[in-house]
Amino acid sequence: MVQLVGSLRKELADSLSSCKVLVVGAGGIGCELLKNLVLTGFKNIDVIDLDTIDVSNLNRQFLFQKKHVGKSKAEVAKESALQFCPTANITAYHDSIMNPDYNVEFFRKFSLVMNALDNRAARNHVNRMCLAADIPLIESGTAGYLGQVTVIKKGMTECYECVPKPAQKTFPGCTIRNTPSEPIHCIVWAKYLFNQLFGEEDADQEVSPDTADPEAAWNPEETAARATASEKDGDIRRVSTKEWAKSTGYDPIKVFNKLFKDDIMYLLTMDKLWKKRKAPTPLDWQQLENSARPQEESPASSGLKDQQVLDVWGYCQLFRHSVETLRSQLQEKGAGAELVWDKDDPPAMDFVTAAANLRMNIFSMNMKSRFDVKSMAGNIIPAIATTNAVIAGLIVLEGLKILSGELESCRSIFLNKCPNLRKKLLVPCILDKPSPNCYVCASKPEVTVKVNVQKTTVLSLQDKILKERFGMVAPDVQIEDGKGTILISSEEGETEANNNKFLSEFGIRNGSRLQADDFLQDYTLLINVLHTEELERDVEFEVVGEAPDKAPPPQSNKEEVNSITNGNKDSAQPSTSCKVTADDDDLMIIDSDEEVGAPSSSAAVASGTKRKHPDSETGEASTKRPRTDQSAATNYDDDDIIALD
Amino acid sequence: MIEKEDPIISEEEAAQYDRQIRLWGLDAQKRLRGSRVLLAGVGGLGAELAKNLILAGVKGLTLLDHELVSEESCRAQFLVPVSAKGQNRAQASLERAQNLNPMVEVHADPDRVEDKPDDFFLQFDATASFCTLKEALEVEWSSEKAKASLKRTPVDYFLLHVLLKFRTDKGRDPDPESCADDSQLLRQIRDDVLEAMGLSSDLLSDDFISYCFSEMSPVCAVVGGVLGQEVVKALSQRDAPHRNFFFFDGRKGNGVVDYFGPN
Repeated sequence: MVQLVGSLRKELADSLSSCKVLVVGAGGIGCELLKNLVLTGFKNIDVIDLDTIDVSNLNRQFLFQKKHVGKSKAEVAKESALQFCPTANITAYHDSIMNPDYNVEFFRKFSLVMNALDNRAARNHVNRMCLAADIPLIESGTAGYLGQVTVIKKGMTECYECVPKPAQKTFPGCTIRNTPSEPIHCIVWAKYLFNQLFGEEDADQEVSPDTADPEAAWNPEETAARATASEKDGDIRRVSTKEWAKSTGYDPIKVFNKLFKDDIMYLLTMDKLWKKRKAPTPLDWQQLENSARPQEESPASSGLKDQQVLDVWGYCQLFRHSVETLRSQLQEKGAGAELVWDKDDPPAMDFVTAAANLRMNIFSMNMKSRFDVKSMAGNIIPAIATTNAVIAGLIVLEGLKILSGELESCRSIFLNKCPNLRKKLLVPCILDKPSPNCYVCASKPEVTVKVNVQKTTVLSLQDKILKERFGMVAPDVQIEDGKGTILISSEEGETEANNNKFLSEFGIRNGSRLQADDFLQDYTLLINVLHTEELERDVEFEVVGEAPDKAPPPQSNKEEVNSITNGNKDSAQPSTSCKVTADDDDLMIIDSDEEVGAPSSSAAVASGTKRKHPDSETGEASTKRPRTDQSAATNYDDDDIIALD
Repeated sequence: MIEKEDPIISEEEAAQYDRQIRLWGLDAQKRLRGSRVLLAGVGGLGAELAKNLILAGVKGLTLLDHELVSEESCRAQFLVPVSAKGQNRAQASLERAQNLNPMVEVHADPDRVEDKPDDFFLQFDATASFCTLKEALEVEWSSEKAKASLKRTPVDYFLLHVLLKFRTDKGRDPDPESCADDSQLLRQIRDDVLEAMGLSSDLLSDDFISYCFSEMSPVCAVVGGVLGQEVVKALSQRDAPHRNFFFFDGRKGNGVVDYFGPN
């Protein structure tokens, strides 16, 4: 009889007591995972999370209580877990995993790393660190009722970046600035406006009418003329939005009239835009105030207060009130202060709700409740305890296989809402081999990138291409010009002078090669440069060999998105009948026990496209900083999610 | 019966339940909020279920368990403090269960479920069932039709039969303290059960025995999660429940929904 400790063989139980594991993230999946690890007998656990506890976490992150709101997730999770296993050795880090302190040597201390993250940047980074340290990684994600777990082992399986993930959806500048047609365009505009007025001004987040919109011009020459004219004008359009607002003392009515009346009237002069579209109708504060009917106190409704849709004057008042509050917040912070937008900061959320709705009204769209605007503006992914509980259970089971040395029995497991054609609610799939062309885990990763070398700056290369697109945290770049010219140094200040220069100024042209390194990630990427002058508007670069950036919306599935954006009265996901649909064919269902006697290479025989990998999509790619105070945080979407077709 | 709904949802509830209201809607949340649930047994699986339902925001949850806290209990579930050995398991779990969500009324009851009068159960909300457990287990396996479906029947179904028979015969679950004797008995029962069904004992290989002695946290988490969601569906009257058994194989990662019962 095999010697057991609980349900485990003694050797396994012993190794659980001695090995060290890392849990990255102490949120929805993280809390459940920590509990499972401790109860299963893991004794040495490190847990890291940069976030603090919010009341909306409490429906599922059960290691936290109301009294813990505002405190560090990692630290409270550790304390709570120790309550039910006082002998466990848990180390908590209230920090970002992307901090260079957590280098390859740090990762090598662990026998196993388990991600419980909610954003792609961190997942990419941990993926690379685990490849560099050659430590097995268990990746996972959840969204609503759906979830997934998979195992990543260098050389044996696909890494997290082997299969390109759909890029985050972005909208062309002229759609945001001139011709919005959907509520989301107005919401994005409102968030840009927040930054322009109260936060960090960003050249890519302009809110004023786009005079260089090619659609507006009679002929190409006029586009150029208009663009240069607006620069030479010396009128208010040259002054930054923030400077202008400051000059008015952030007078809400003046700001209102500029954005919702004057700028709209300007758009109306660009008449070509309105030949086939319904023209916007400007708003006038005074007129609205005069015609406002006093709102009867609506009886305490049975719905959520946030789910009510106000009338235009209601949003005018909300706009005024939030501007005044934000103005005070700025004043309190002192000179040169900047606010960071946070969906859980009421005046910031009020501001976006008001501004977005006023713009929707101007452009003849039905206005939306604060509840719905918050979903879209905050990229909220609905989340419940049970899905996270299931996924966290599966993570530990995969972990046990890994620690038993049974990597071949590891699987990707998908949690469905309804059983598939084979009656499976939980679908295990054989892990894929690494992609030979992977730009991360191939032996000498290489990519080809199309840019306009005369219009792309060194800073853009660093931030948009190397960091955002290729997931580097602290890139170093040399030009392969025989001289090894250093273009970008990760040491602060060293190559700052290069930032605003164009690539062409360094002799970079068609066919040039750049070597980009991230030493922390132990990652080298060779970039072949293809010069082009024919990129789409608002597109700064294109990675060759990938589909153009027309990805589906980065939500968990279309149904959920439609439900939210259509303003479903209940704000619920549509109740599905759980009939088994053809969609299930999208899953590559390979189970070792289904094909008795067939070799595991029969995995290749399956038809149908593979379900896309777990991930979390964010609206903007900003790095989350440790939340030391509410206003300092840039809020990512909640929790772990997956992106499905 | 689900209590007359209080139509107003407080700001506190709206804030705390925000992420789940966005998934299943306000009406479903209100129905949950009006439901009283009875949970019989607070072992590993019971604790998971308790957590999931308390977090979901039911009106009340009664933990019913006559067992006492053992050495094993502390390893199996996270509601019982390590200092509570010898106490009644339901009562020992009460404090932590309540702390999960102060908006839920959590009660502990140390009685045996068999000792409860019929009307005790009336205070809880009924859960729909398609057929009784007894009917589900009394499947005629010797027919051709049954034999044909055997190939796609999860082996765990037969394991369930074996465990239930053990429990009936011994009045308890397999105990690590009497590992050798219990293993012998389990093997015997397996042979008997399968033979009585007209099936070969090869169907359930010997290694099943090692899985019978304790609950395993991650498995409790998976099953507790699926089961928890089924209860939420029933109480909120939203989305069709799975019909009617769910089997989870922790080694393979298969989670199968299958139907057993009168056709």
